[in-house]
Amino acid sequence: MTHLWERLLEAKSRLEPVQSKYRVLFEDPAAPDEPAKVLVPDPNWMACALAGGILPPIDTYQRDRLVPDGEPKEHPYAEPIDAMSEEEAIEYLIMKDIDPSVWRDYKGNRTIMKIVPVELIPSDRSFRNAWRVVQ
Amino acid sequence: MSTITASNISDSTTTVGTSYVVNGSAKAWVNLNGVGTISIRISLNTSSIADNGTGQYRQNFSSSFSGGYCTSGSVSQVNSWLETEKEYTYVDTLVDVVSRSDGGGASDTSHCEIQNFGDLA
Repeated sequence: MTHLWERLLEAKSRLEPVQSKYRVLFEDPAAPDEPAKVLVPDPNWMACALAGGILPPIDTYQRDRLVPDGEPKEHPYAEPIDAMSEEEAIEYLIMKDIDPSVWRDYKGNRTIMKIVPVELIPSDRSFRNAWRVVQ
Repeated sequence: MSTITASNISDSTTTVGTSYVVNGSAKAWVNLNGVGTISIRISLNTSSIADNGTGQYRQNFSSSFSGGYCTSGSVSQVNSWLETEKEYTYVDTLVDVVSRSDGGGASDTSHCEIQNFGDLA
């Protein structure tokens, strides 16, 4: 099995980047005074997700979260998974790149995460640090 | 993918070990547009970026580093600079950066480039 980085490098030379039509808007429950954050999928990563045979299973990343920095990780040499739909890829990305305290552990009444079409993210950033997730 | 195995690379005048080339290459990089609707222009080994607020960006790696890495970066405006926030987020899977302008405050930037060097996990 080749290293994940080599697979990404090879895929970049072969696959057209895919700009996702979704963004993930979320708030950090541990920092309620901070503005809402916006997760932007990488076009090369999305192309890999849609193509299949490149990215490792999401549970390898989740187990690697528990591995201290500098220790061997499981995800680089894990068997790649099949192609995903764009919606499945966004869910994968949430579990990979957003802290579980947002998408798994939060028990409050406020909605702190939404998957939204990119058109719904304001392009006017004048009051960027006041952005909140609309209830 | 084909593999060339060699210990050194030479132009017949200067010789350099391939380990210097391999270890000296950026393993994860991104060029992002930080104004308007944030987007990624070009990248390698990046799964996503997060727009964390004015001038504050996070790069998430697809393939994580092993025991630390070095980050450098630049922004497009005159009298502006890019700071990493590793004192808060020194983990192998991501890097947080802040684009700052002349007065030291965080500010959005149209071109933010981040490169990361080190050993992969």
